[in-house]
Amino acid sequence: MTVAGRAREAAGTGKTVSRTGLLVGGLVLMAVVAVLSIGIGARSVAPGEVVRALFDYQGSNDDHVIVRDVRAPRALLAIVVGAALAVAGALIQTLARNPLAEPGILGVTAGAGFSVTIGSALGLTVDQAGELGLAVIGSVVAALLVVAVGRHSPLRLVLAGVALTAVLNGVALGLRLMLPDTFDAYRFWSVGSLAAREQAPMALPMTVIALALIGALLLSRALNALSLGATVAHTLGANVGRVRVAALVLITVLSGAATAVAGPILFVGLIVPHLVRRPAGGSVPWLILYTMVLGPILLLVADIGSRVLLPTGEVPVAIVTAFLGGPMLIWAVRRYGAGSL
Amino acid sequence: MSIRRSSGLVGAVALALLVTGCGSSDGGSDDSGKGKTRTFAADNGKIKIPSDPKRVVATGYAVPALIEGGAPLVGISSWKRGESMMSKQDLATYKKTPKVAGELATETNYEAIAEAEPDLIVIGVPAPVLGDIDVKRLEGIAPVVAIGPTVPSAWRKLAHKQSDAAGALKKFDAAKEKYETEAGKLAKKYANVLPQLKLGHVGAYGETAKGTFQREFGGSWGTNIAEDVGAKYYGKVKEPGPGSKAVSEYPSIEELPDALGKADAITYSVNPDGSVPKPVKYVMDSKLWKNLPAVKAGKTFPIRYTEAATYGQAMQTLDAIDTSFAPLLKR
Repeated sequence: MTVAGRAREAAGTGKTVSRTGLLVGGLVLMAVVAVLSIGIGARSVAPGEVVRALFDYQGSNDDHVIVRDVRAPRALLAIVVGAALAVAGALIQTLARNPLAEPGILGVTAGAGFSVTIGSALGLTVDQAGELGLAVIGSVVAALLVVAVGRHSPLRLVLAGVALTAVLNGVALGLRLMLPDTFDAYRFWSVGSLAAREQAPMALPMTVIALALIGALLLSRALNALSLGATVAHTLGANVGRVRVAALVLITVLSGAATAVAGPILFVGLIVPHLVRRPAGGSVPWLILYTMVLGPILLLVADIGSRVLLPTGEVPVAIVTAFLGGPMLIWAVRRYGAGSL
Repeated sequence: MSIRRSSGLVGAVALALLVTGCGSSDGGSDDSGKGKTRTFAADNGKIKIPSDPKRVVATGYAVPALIEGGAPLVGISSWKRGESMMSKQDLATYKKTPKVAGELATETNYEAIAEAEPDLIVIGVPAPVLGDIDVKRLEGIAPVVAIGPTVPSAWRKLAHKQSDAAGALKKFDAAKEKYETEAGKLAKKYANVLPQLKLGHVGAYGETAKGTFQREFGGSWGTNIAEDVGAKYYGKVKEPGPGSKAVSEYPSIEELPDALGKADAITYSVNPDGSVPKPVKYVMDSKLWKNLPAVKAGKTFPIRYTEAATYGQAMQTLDAIDTSFAPLLKR
């Protein structure tokens, strides 16, 4: 796409109506999948009972407890985490101008994993709240280090992220190999999952993610200018440095909080921006909006799969997203190519 | 590896081969009458072993069994999970015996085993884990008998075989008799209440991060000793697998009402210090747990030392079971 074409797209002319229709359609689909997610699970609950559980809750009824206290919080978590990872992916791909960038490139996943490993070795991860806190600290510290080193150019940022990830993963792996108990504790965290979070303190991380999503939307116009290149962005009056720092903070918060609450879930941040880039037509605000809707849909569908794939027990959602994400990525690349950034 | 260490290893292996070779004549004994051998049936086939081994290396589940049996151990694997169940004397023996392997089969130190110059190696790991050990390499050091657990309740038979191989049956038989007498007493004590109850058990190995819990059926780690006292665990595994998967499964927390809703009483594994393990706490904190009839009736019983795999350790489990089930007699 030419610079003029991009500018036209950025101005929002041309396909606004169809884009709005697509967004509304996406929201409806997300609602449908969310309802399905609440209705489907290891224990079969009749649709009528699902409705009664939502509107006439009785704590002594097991079906109601499952719907209201297990599945509904889980569906909400899938929506928030899916949106956070997908938007973080869209932001980092836009900022780095690299279609292979994903939120973990800032070192957040490696930082969280390293922190959880250290915490396990020191006996600090006794409960979910402790694990959550450690993962947040690890993500933020790692992201700050990467940003401090690579904030001046997208290439340096990516290199710093890859290098720190390799170092942290290497040290953490060494520790886990030497300490079997630590390995045992870590392996539970390392399988990205939305299960069993209903008992964990989720209000704070979910609020933080919601605020960061709003922040991403507010920043999207400035990023639109930046996606045309730093020189053009300057010409259009954007403060390039400030926009970059704001975007990095948002990526860190979104991916760090999502990883902290659900463990490492890869692919969502990489693939969702690819799937919606074409309909977004080069507009970052639309890209953010679409990823905000498709990310949750992907994670909700994967989470339903995680609950029903085995005769007893569950498959971690990160494994299902990997299985779904691989073919979808191949399809997207074959269908649309990498897409312009 | 340094040349010096390599030379040492070669020397030790050669010496070990020489030592074991002496007692392996087809006739079953050498000229002097010492070093008699016998054929022993193990997981890895029929193995010719010394009739009266003097230097034994033990790994995995063979460690607690052979320490308790008073076998002549010259090397053992680390066995942290069993430390809390060992008697003071056994713990002292465990601590002073050289460690030739870590907690995992992959952490086997072949050089250390060779340096220990064993005349018998008893590997007590489950058959699937045996693949992580270079048995051929060990066979170059001393005769190897692999006697690993299959279903959890088989520890009785396995401990017997391990003790037999290591020539430590005398103490084993005494411990077995003591255990069976005590279990019999408790079975009589609870005869009027325990066999009438349909029991369910929540194990300590659920995977909280996956939203699953461990349900153990009869013959599992959490249930097999209670069964000796007369406890009856109902149900069976939906999709049985090898080893412990034949007697335990990992349903989603959503299936808790289906899994334990019909239980008159529920037992659950706790740590040796009585604290509730994370996977069990996850279940007990769920509203679904609080809705279970057995929980509402107050019929839940923690069981300590559910990992017991020797008669000596199982004596502690019997005590724990007695303490936990005692309220049943007052009702």
